[in-house]
Amino acid sequence: MTKTKKSESGVRLILVLFLISAIVALLLGLTNYATKDRIETIRAEKTAAAMQEVLPADEYRRVEYSGDDARVTELYEAAGGWVVRLNVPGSQDKIDMLVGVGADGTVSGVAIVDMAETAGLGDKAAAPEWRAQFVGKSGAIAITKDGGEIDAITGATVTSRAVTDGVSAALAAVLTVKEGSA
Amino acid sequence: MNVKEQLKEGLVTKNPVLVQLLGMCSVLAITTSLFNGIGMGICVTVILTCCNVVISLLRKVIPQKIRIAAYVVIIAGFVTIVDLCVQAFLPALSESLGVFIPLIVVNCIILGRAEAFASRNTVGVSALDGIFQGVGYTLVLIAMCIIRELLGAGTFGAGLLNGGDGIRIFPAEYGAMLMIMPFGGFITLGFLIALMQHFLRRGKEKAEEKERSVK
Repeated sequence: MTKTKKSESGVRLILVLFLISAIVALLLGLTNYATKDRIETIRAEKTAAAMQEVLPADEYRRVEYSGDDARVTELYEAAGGWVVRLNVPGSQDKIDMLVGVGADGTVSGVAIVDMAETAGLGDKAAAPEWRAQFVGKSGAIAITKDGGEIDAITGATVTSRAVTDGVSAALAAVLTVKEGSA
Repeated sequence: MNVKEQLKEGLVTKNPVLVQLLGMCSVLAITTSLFNGIGMGICVTVILTCCNVVISLLRKVIPQKIRIAAYVVIIAGFVTIVDLCVQAFLPALSESLGVFIPLIVVNCIILGRAEAFASRNTVGVSALDGIFQGVGYTLVLIAMCIIRELLGAGTFGAGLLNGGDGIRIFPAEYGAMLMIMPFGGFITLGFLIALMQHFLRRGKEKAEEKERSVK
């Protein structure tokens, strides 16, 4: 290291890095501003479509969930039953899912809003054929490995168990709400 | 260095994945369907080219001592911009690639090319380097996707052709599941690297032989 290089460092290092960071931050802000609305619309559309899928209704009314299950994030009441939104721990990350519960207390549908399960294995939880197994079930449900009647996805027991637990939790949450209003 | 030479380096003799062994994490993780491979390849190519151009432009401004920090800020910026754009305009791609788009920040192809190439060359060649290296990466991704998807799931072009289901070559039950799992990716990549080395070495031997016979 020569002396001239050493003297140039201090202030200049800070200034250059600061300027680069500031410009990048500005660009990020602009991009975020430009794409924010679109991303939100896409998310909202996805959630709305998933709600229609698990329990078709014209209107969903958000109700307060008084139970102590932290996995339940949102609860909606509709003409034909309830829709429960849950965040369950999957094998890679949280699984954001919706469970529709009919007025008779059985599952009317299950949908995955967002997840990051293993590609090719756990992500099959989003396949309609697999989710259809839950329709009509009630009470505590489990995968066949745990003595229940849900066929787990091959190679993705953790994901299957997580979704199944989520459905059970949703059924329990609806029971709590029913008792509360009765 | 001329364009032809650069193209050959990016695609073959200095292929980022098969020869420089860079960016292997994403190669192993996302090459399960053709749609993922092409999408990821395009994202990386765009980011790599942009970063190369900017870093090459700033190569005389950025002091040696903080160059890595500066590169990381620039790379992270571009990756986030691309990530937001993909989320807004290509939701299907963002859904299937998930966390691997933000993870391009730590993809060593980009930092590697910034350090080894863009910081020492002019803007024009750096841009070409970004494109060619990106295409080289994309081609490997596509090869891996085709092999793994075919052997693992029995389809070709899932997510792209035939309304998203892909063309079925043989029933899904006969697929070898290990090919879809990350270690199947390792095995495939190992074979591809071995194949590449075989051809590179044969090319070299031939060239040497030619030299000898001329003498």
